[in-house]
Amino acid sequence: MSTPEADLRRAAIARRVVYLLLAVAIVATTLVPTEMKVVPSPLSRKVYDRLEAMPAGSPILFSFDYDPSSKEELYPMSLALLRHAFRRGLRPIVMTHWLNGVGLCKELVERTAKEAGKESGQDFVFLAYKPGGSNLLLNMGESLKGAFDKDFYGKPTEGMPALKGVGSLRDIPVVVGIAAGGTTEMLIAYGRDRFGFDLGAGCTAVIAPDLYPFLQSDQLFGLLGGLRGAADYETLIGRPDTGVKGMPAQSVAHILIIALVAGANVYVFLIRRPRRKEA
Amino acid sequence: MLYKRAIPLIIVFVMGLLAFVHEFVPHPLSAAFREEMTTWFRIIGGFGMFIGLYSLLHMHATRIRRKQLGWGYSLFVFLGALGMIVLGLVNEPHGPLGSAPEDGTVFDWFYMNVQVPCGATIFSLLAFFMASAAFRTFRARNLDAALLLGAAVIVMFGRIPLSAMISDVFPQAADVLLEYPNLAAKRGILLGISLGAISQSLRILFGIERSYLGGGSE
Repeated sequence: MSTPEADLRRAAIARRVVYLLLAVAIVATTLVPTEMKVVPSPLSRKVYDRLEAMPAGSPILFSFDYDPSSKEELYPMSLALLRHAFRRGLRPIVMTHWLNGVGLCKELVERTAKEAGKESGQDFVFLAYKPGGSNLLLNMGESLKGAFDKDFYGKPTEGMPALKGVGSLRDIPVVVGIAAGGTTEMLIAYGRDRFGFDLGAGCTAVIAPDLYPFLQSDQLFGLLGGLRGAADYETLIGRPDTGVKGMPAQSVAHILIIALVAGANVYVFLIRRPRRKEA
Repeated sequence: MLYKRAIPLIIVFVMGLLAFVHEFVPHPLSAAFREEMTTWFRIIGGFGMFIGLYSLLHMHATRIRRKQLGWGYSLFVFLGALGMIVLGLVNEPHGPLGSAPEDGTVFDWFYMNVQVPCGATIFSLLAFFMASAAFRTFRARNLDAALLLGAAVIVMFGRIPLSAMISDVFPQAADVLLEYPNLAAKRGILLGISLGAISQSLRILFGIERSYLGGGSE
């Protein structure tokens, strides 16, 4: 006999079993080194191809708009993008619209610059954070050095070699926004559509479906979605890292969820059938 | 009434109208106005952060004072916020008001070794909630639910590298679902939101919607 109390108890047990199975599956797959071939998606390849097509020395703006809570998904793709930009000899201009993301950005920029032997102010600039969101973008569209008169380290941006020829956003051909929130839409409305740069995006997996309309309208030239996007980009630049390493665990987790959903549906179907026959 | 209602409404109308009109006036004066205004918006936004911090601390102080359920967690909000503020101000080992160094500070150490792992841990719990939610809600009760279930399974499987190793059909099927039915639905939602935003902006501009002034919309 099924009572509401019994149903609630069963649901609580089922929830705990799901948590336990998922934890075991992810931990076991992470601990056991497994290699998984990653075939980059066409959308990830478009981001890579756009950066490849840029002449060496071109400025490129990276807007890393996330904080520690989204680090595991977005940091790997940011790392791969910066590594690619430095390898191509581009001039990265790095900023964030998220105050809590400054520390992560700093670590990311300094790590990749050190790897590539690049110098702050000379080969790249770290502008860090200023409040304002869309208004900051509009300011940068009028005068980038007016919006950021100093870089993160307190050096004046005026006369900085890394910003040579960059007066405003109009002088930057490509911007890539990595977002855990709504800053991609903001970059489209207040940046790309006004100042004419090409915009690429990276985001958490849950946001990715929201950005498809902008891909079809060519307001975005490419998209890196979640950890899979990072794995794609790491594969494309030939430097597998945490994105590729995370793919076996993600694959096992997805398959487990599919199996649980299928199992639950079969179970419900089987217990309903005798009842229908009785009726 | 004049100071609380009429003057704020006039300011909103005039500034809203100017912000709208200058988009269509290609004149240096218009550009100068925009630059000045956006700078002011950013300054006001900076003050907004202080209001946010005050609001957050005030809410948690009330929870502690009233000993509401879970008030102990509110103590950690104060501990974390005040601790990081003090570390930021002291700026060891470079001293107060020293410029941001490349070799890091004690504040940076706490950020990277406390805030980053804590934030990542909280967000990773989402995977467990999503798994549990999928398990409980994806039931083929009727045709609509069965379609949703089918689409979810195809996208979930198509987005992992293993699917491409079996056959290209799986990632392609996931892409088709994302690029057509998903796009159509998202675009519809986007258009609805945009029309709603335009309508709400006009209501605010013409003083029909006044709830932002406080005291209801009368």
